[in-house]
Amino acid sequence: MLGGYISDLEAGDVFKPVEYVLTPFMCSEYAHGVETGHEWFHSARGGRQMRPPTMIHVDKMRILEANCLKERRVSAGGRISTDAKGPDARIHYEYHSRQHSAAYVGERLVVSGKITDKYVKRGRQYIDYYLEVRTADGRLVTTYTDTTLLRYKKVDPK
Amino acid sequence: MKLSVGSEIRGPIRIMTPERIEWYDSAMLSAAKGELTRVTVNIHTDEDYAKSEGLPAIIADGMISTNWCSEMMIEHFGLDYIERGELRTRFIKPTFLGVTVSVRGRVTAAEPQPGGAVVYKLDVWCEDETGLKLTVGDAKVEVRPQ
Repeated sequence: MLGGYISDLEAGDVFKPVEYVLTPFMCSEYAHGVETGHEWFHSARGGRQMRPPTMIHVDKMRILEANCLKERRVSAGGRISTDAKGPDARIHYEYHSRQHSAAYVGERLVVSGKITDKYVKRGRQYIDYYLEVRTADGRLVTTYTDTTLLRYKKVDPK
Repeated sequence: MKLSVGSEIRGPIRIMTPERIEWYDSAMLSAAKGELTRVTVNIHTDEDYAKSEGLPAIIADGMISTNWCSEMMIEHFGLDYIERGELRTRFIKPTFLGVTVSVRGRVTAAEPQPGGAVVYKLDVWCEDETGLKLTVGDAKVEVRPQ
């Protein structure tokens, strides 16, 4: 179900896409945070500034916040409060990105995606995502699948 | 660069510190919001909260090790990886504070393509100082002739 917490999402839910313009700050700040010093991500020296390919995970955060209206992690600045974050902490289990082209500063990016599965395995509940990022004129940038554990604590079998 | 099946590549060796966890979490939020944003309490930053969620201690965000694997791929394959690379990582063990993380890769296939390109497939992983694998995965990149 869209509109609630991430844990409310169900297989088959299709996200409302989100659009944004990629800025120098976004690329450089993320690259800095992961200690990637390559100049490609920090300036336009030698060409056009681009984003690190792993920034698809930031897009995941964007589209989740736009579609799960009870989750306000980004807009709340990372603060946890009863109305800012779901009832349980989630744990990322698998990241899988395929790059199809680089994304450059100044480009408008469109993130779309859906929930492909939600299931219990060994007493824990997981959710699978599919996301893709294109430029506004349709060039494919990244496709991505993701598996996340919805809560670390085991599901009560009752 | 001359790689063949069995060739090993290496990425960064870094100790997982609270600062590195905060750098990542704050950078992720900042990039999503488009302005400087600082992470506060979550399972990666707060011991009490992590324990309240059933974890034994603070664990590092898996995207930190993913990014370090990606950095290794960028260093070895450059734009070929950024423009058409593939990376999969699975977080099979938690990475706790103080652990020295070594990023490594091994070529599992080198497949020549028409026109001179080569598709490389690799196993990638992060291990601790004892050799225990914490993050495992694979990568693929088509290297085109210059």
